[in-house]
Amino acid sequence: MTVNERRPPPPRAPTRTRPHSNLAVLRAAILVLFALLTLRLGYLQIVRGEEYAERAESNHLRALQLLPSRGLIYDRDGVPLVQNVGSYAAGIIPELLPADREARYLTYLQLEAITGVPALEIQTAVDEAEAAGRGGERLIIAKYLTHEQAIALDQAASTLDGVELVVEPSRTYPYGPVLSHVLGYIGPQFADERKRYEELGYPPNQPVGKAGLEAAYETYLAGTPGWQIAEQDAHGNILRVLETRPPEPGANLKLSIDLDLQQYVYDLLVSSLGDATQAAAVVMNPKTGDIYALVSVPSYDNNIFAAIERHDAEYEALLEDPRKPLLNHALMPAAPGSTFKLVTAAAALQEGTITPTTGRNVDSAVLEIRGEDGVIYPLRDWRVHGYLDLRGAIAWSSNIYFYMASCGIPQEGIRGLGKDILESATILGYYARAFGFGRPTGIDLGGEATGVVPSPEWKRRSRSGPQFNPEDREWYYADTCFMGIGQGDVTATPLQVARMTAAVANGGKLVRPHLVDEILDAEGRAIERIEPEWEEVPVDPAHLQVIREGMLLSVREGAGALAAVPGVAVAGKTGTAEFRTPTGELKEHAWFTGFAPFDDPEVVVTVYFDLGFGGAKAAPVAGRIIQYFLQHQGGAR
Amino acid sequence: MAVLRRGAYERVGLFRGWDRFDYLMVAAALALVVLGLLLIHSGSRNDYDGPALSFANPVVKQLVFAIVGLAVMAGMSRIDYHRLTHYWWALYGASIVALVAVLIFGDAQFGSTRWFDFGVVQVQPSEFAKVAVIVTLARFFAEYGGDAREFRALLVSLAIVVPVIFLVFIEPDLGTSAVFAAIWLGVVVIAGVNRAHLAMLAALCFALAPFVWTFAVADYQVERISILVDPYRDQGGLGAGYNVIQAETAIGSGGLFGKGLGNGAQTQLDFLKVPTKDFIFSVLGEELGFVGGLALFLLFIVLLFRGVRAAQIAGDVEGQLIAVGIVVLILMQTFVNVAVNLGMFPVTGIPLPFVSQGGSSLVSMFAALGILQSIIIRHRAYRQE
Repeated sequence: MTVNERRPPPPRAPTRTRPHSNLAVLRAAILVLFALLTLRLGYLQIVRGEEYAERAESNHLRALQLLPSRGLIYDRDGVPLVQNVGSYAAGIIPELLPADREARYLTYLQLEAITGVPALEIQTAVDEAEAAGRGGERLIIAKYLTHEQAIALDQAASTLDGVELVVEPSRTYPYGPVLSHVLGYIGPQFADERKRYEELGYPPNQPVGKAGLEAAYETYLAGTPGWQIAEQDAHGNILRVLETRPPEPGANLKLSIDLDLQQYVYDLLVSSLGDATQAAAVVMNPKTGDIYALVSVPSYDNNIFAAIERHDAEYEALLEDPRKPLLNHALMPAAPGSTFKLVTAAAALQEGTITPTTGRNVDSAVLEIRGEDGVIYPLRDWRVHGYLDLRGAIAWSSNIYFYMASCGIPQEGIRGLGKDILESATILGYYARAFGFGRPTGIDLGGEATGVVPSPEWKRRSRSGPQFNPEDREWYYADTCFMGIGQGDVTATPLQVARMTAAVANGGKLVRPHLVDEILDAEGRAIERIEPEWEEVPVDPAHLQVIREGMLLSVREGAGALAAVPGVAVAGKTGTAEFRTPTGELKEHAWFTGFAPFDDPEVVVTVYFDLGFGGAKAAPVAGRIIQYFLQHQGGAR
Repeated sequence: MAVLRRGAYERVGLFRGWDRFDYLMVAAALALVVLGLLLIHSGSRNDYDGPALSFANPVVKQLVFAIVGLAVMAGMSRIDYHRLTHYWWALYGASIVALVAVLIFGDAQFGSTRWFDFGVVQVQPSEFAKVAVIVTLARFFAEYGGDAREFRALLVSLAIVVPVIFLVFIEPDLGTSAVFAAIWLGVVVIAGVNRAHLAMLAALCFALAPFVWTFAVADYQVERISILVDPYRDQGGLGAGYNVIQAETAIGSGGLFGKGLGNGAQTQLDFLKVPTKDFIFSVLGEELGFVGGLALFLLFIVLLFRGVRAAQIAGDVEGQLIAVGIVVLILMQTFVNVAVNLGMFPVTGIPLPFVSQGGSSLVSMFAALGILQSIIIRHRAYRQE
């Protein structure tokens, strides 16, 4: 201090040799910052300590969801139609990879050797995931590994940090295209469905039914997921399982489908296509609605959907194929043509406007009818039939006879179903609906079309809009006539036609067709049996007997003769429905619908080709199906 | 401007000056290192199961680096700190070159280019740049009359730090940029900055902040900052917020006394990532509890107060400002690291000084202590003798 006293007072500005001495602000900063840290530390450890202690406990206790095994599907004889398999994928959790880049690259190289995915590609994917802050999330680098790859990866994963073999449940369908429209397929939950499935208790990685029975019976097939509480380390290695609730497997389905028959019908349709592009067939029990075979051609391999990413090109091709292989054509509508005459006949008999003996001499292939509206309509038949009664008209599929039965011939004083064309159309529509047209059949399969039963009101509604002329909306005399022979605006699915045929064959019961016969639990015990359901068709069974006789005559000596099977009384009805192609050409759909044996019908067969003549194209195919059915299984039914 | 001649440096012989050496500071640092060794042992038990006495054992490795660090500290204390300020241009120039070079040639890790990889060691140019910036600032203010009261002086000092902050920021390394900013702030405050000037700059920063946020902040930084607000926003805590959540859980579950060394479930079951490096404080929090955390803070406060003492007794403005810079450096690194562990600061790769595993950090921290010792040995009272 003595030194300072002798000096002059210090200058205001510090000099090079005279440092500032007020460092209190620095000390204060140190204390304040550490006080902040202490407060926060105290808050975490003392105020919320217990809460965090619990969280730490639950941190290493992890509930894992266990996926249930999906229910299996069997044919009527117990042959399995699906297989549950594991789908193997290679996963990486970037955070668990070695920190060192070289060690990482060695890991990638090993993965490349197993999966074939280039190491550089893996590196890019991992780097991107980490840059996006998703280092803790599992990254799938290769899907659908073969069994050999999976084994190799499983071994490698035990020594490679951050690499794991991911097993996800999947399905294979050994019969592929033969049953794809029936079984459908499963696939991963789409983003927009995830919430709905989550509410139903699905883990996000559980595959779900996307089409066919897989979708329709999803709630039965899915099963219930289980869970497991296990102690694990941060690498996800399970150290100890503490509690388990095993998943409950899904219920199994036993179908009414007969695999051999299905295969036979499929092969037959494919080989009979000729210049047709689409075909469908329904083989059904007329009394119970059991479907023995349901085939749509062209078909697709439903196995590609389990690994859809790998089959982009195939899927694209399926979507763009003009023949629409993904659609089940047995459930898609087309003009039913003359098969619809069975409905017209039943309606006319029931209404009493014709009797079985009502005759008509079809001595010309053209009948000019002057309609009530004064317009002259030249209505054609496909040939000069000569004299026909009702049975003969069914057998030879006379158009003119059924014009007479539906819309009448005013200039000859013959009335149609009703007192005028509008009433005739309404009555015919009523019977068409009674036979199941224009509404779903109720089959246990999604995606069913209803078809159209036209009416004056329907025509007004469906032709509204600027692209139609006002006169297009009017119901003309010919509309009723064309409807009477299954032309014009009438459309029906092959399944609807088969169901109508069954009602004719069994004497008036409109059965609900179904594919699933029984729902079985995992041990094979039946949980639920699908009982036959039907509604009564308001037609006297005696009238239906007449129609059946006409159908018998058709196969015996009429238009459906090619459906004949030696030694069996087959009854049937052909159909050749004219339609205009998008290019404006006039072409024909070929139909045949029939049943056998005549006295006690065991089977209904409906065959449809998008191009061809009913008697020539569809009838022989139906005959061979009936023959196969009766030879191979008929006795057992 | 007086140019220091070489003869002006005070020479301290090998055996002189040890009486003025700050042994309490060294003791605090060594206590931190020992605490670090215990925690590294606890945090590495899952990853290392080799022989105890091997260089591969992280504990042994850290111990060896601590010894190297002590030697470096002793060596640095022999060197007159005026030699550093004399060659400020070389240090500063080399830092800028290295920071630019690392952006071009450096090794990217965890989405950030901060390192040169020389095989055996990884070098972070920003470590070196910290010392260079401190020395340059100290030299500038010393030359400028040891004063930051003039606005022009403040602007020049800003011109010194801003390029470095910018280069570090675009690596990107948010935490280290913050450390640089704090060093500048600490130095100019002690150099007597005018409060009005500082307030003006602060206002300017606030005005510019939205532009920086929009154009200069990388997505991952935005993500990390939002994670700070709600760690569970990404995949319910398994995504980007994972580290923050696990660290908080580990610390919170430690309670008052902790679960005991080696008993922390979070640590031992590997829920904590890098438990011996950036998140070593979480291991401490879980296994040694609130009491352990306070002990760590006390050791740092002792160390830092001894650093402030060095600034207090420094022989001249250069020494004082260097000491202040180093104190702020250690303080900010500690604060940011612990704040990250406590979920108060976005995750950034800053180690805990003297405690975290890692040779280059440890050695450079001891080197910084060496500079402080060099200042203490040449303190004011001694010069006035």
